[in-house]
Amino acid sequence: MKDIITTICQFVTSSVGRKVIVALTGACLLLFLVGHLAGNMTIYGGLGGGNETSWINHYAQGLHAMPAWLLWAIRLGLLAVLLVHIGFTLVLKWENVNARTKYQKEGTLKATLASRTMVLTGVTIFCFMVFHLWQLTYNGDPANCYEHIVHAFINPWCSLFYIAAISCLFMHVRHGFQSVFQSIGLSTRKIRPIFDLAAIAFGLVICGGYISIPLAVLAGIIR
Amino acid sequence: MANLNLTLKVWRQDTPQSKGSIQTYQANEIPEEASFLEMLDIVNEGLVIAGQEPIHYDHDCREGICGMCSLTINGVPHSGGLVSKVTTCQLHMRKFKDGDTIWIEPFRAEAFPLLRDLIVDRSALDNIIAAGGFIEVRTGSAPEANTMPIRKKTSEAAFDAAACIGCGACVASCKNSSAMLFTSAKAAHLNLLPQGQPEKHKRVLAMVRQMDNLGFGNCTNQYECEAACPKGISVDNIAKLNRDYIIACAAEGVGVYA
Repeated sequence: MKDIITTICQFVTSSVGRKVIVALTGACLLLFLVGHLAGNMTIYGGLGGGNETSWINHYAQGLHAMPAWLLWAIRLGLLAVLLVHIGFTLVLKWENVNARTKYQKEGTLKATLASRTMVLTGVTIFCFMVFHLWQLTYNGDPANCYEHIVHAFINPWCSLFYIAAISCLFMHVRHGFQSVFQSIGLSTRKIRPIFDLAAIAFGLVICGGYISIPLAVLAGIIR
Repeated sequence: MANLNLTLKVWRQDTPQSKGSIQTYQANEIPEEASFLEMLDIVNEGLVIAGQEPIHYDHDCREGICGMCSLTINGVPHSGGLVSKVTTCQLHMRKFKDGDTIWIEPFRAEAFPLLRDLIVDRSALDNIIAAGGFIEVRTGSAPEANTMPIRKKTSEAAFDAAACIGCGACVASCKNSSAMLFTSAKAAHLNLLPQGQPEKHKRVLAMVRQMDNLGFGNCTNQYECEAACPKGISVDNIAKLNRDYIIACAAEGVGVYA
């Protein structure tokens, strides 16, 4: 038993182990993005009748109809995954900054902008997430979800903020998606370009889906 | 053959403790066919004649196999990004244009303490090897070829990993000063082959833990190392090391190996 605990401790304090944890929690968050988008897409169902016919209201009410313990277990589980992802990343970043000596003239061959700004985009997404939860979850009403969203996005500044934050999410996912496979050791020379393309495609579909909602409100499709 | 007139911005630092700075030098009448190090030799001759201290830099074989070159050109180790898969000694001045300004700095990382000017101490890489990058038993002299069948694909991959000359360009180019490419190549070239199997888990754990202890950064999968590597070591090795480390930890945890 002592061996197992010692090994786990060494794993979570090693560079590779922590990268694996960041990758696995990141993968969970990627799955959450898919689920959340699927739920959001219900806004396009039953258009034209406002709150009365909108599918998203049924969806929101369905979520709240879950047993409270289950709802909170999911929420706290997601929060735990998020905090582990952020916590480990910040520790790794701190070590990386301390391990490096800056060049007077910096040169870059291959590192993408997305890969070099992961912490920046990550922090932006976190701030956005806090605002998003405050705006649409804390102040939201499941029975009035559709109108609440329309009311929020009819403000162009609010829509612009959402679009900017989701663009950051695209950058984050674009590097993060393919990085997951490398960190857990499932990437090879042959499959890496495919993961890279899949990362862009995944990012475009997910972020395009999210951005479509404020754009649809501004364009008057959702009203 | 035209000669080049260049402006050099060179990092000068007398001792590990002193404060270094960028100094500007003119490199005039440099033949295009000179290698980068020969260009520095020409500049140094001028400095010595003028009674100044020459620029100190590491070099040895000058044919791209020893791994002693340790300078960055315009922020990129070895080649300055002008040619791929070459060491500084194999970079020729014909790659530059007349009138260019070239920034020359040492390989920078906290794990590579600077000794003087462009010379850094890369013993940290040796310490990673000493932790487990070897086979403990005496394996004797080279056996008859093909006595131990190894798949061609495997032997090629092991040979590609073994091509690492340990120069440290991966660390110098990494935005996090991570030594993952070096460590993974050194682990992979043994771990891939039958001779390396008995100590595989022990090797992986020892090398990764040593790497962590030496103050290198953590890999963030930017693959800058692969692009800067003069031997074209693939980041496949990093994925393999990650995989092997997970398995080795599991084996250690359940006590599969002593």
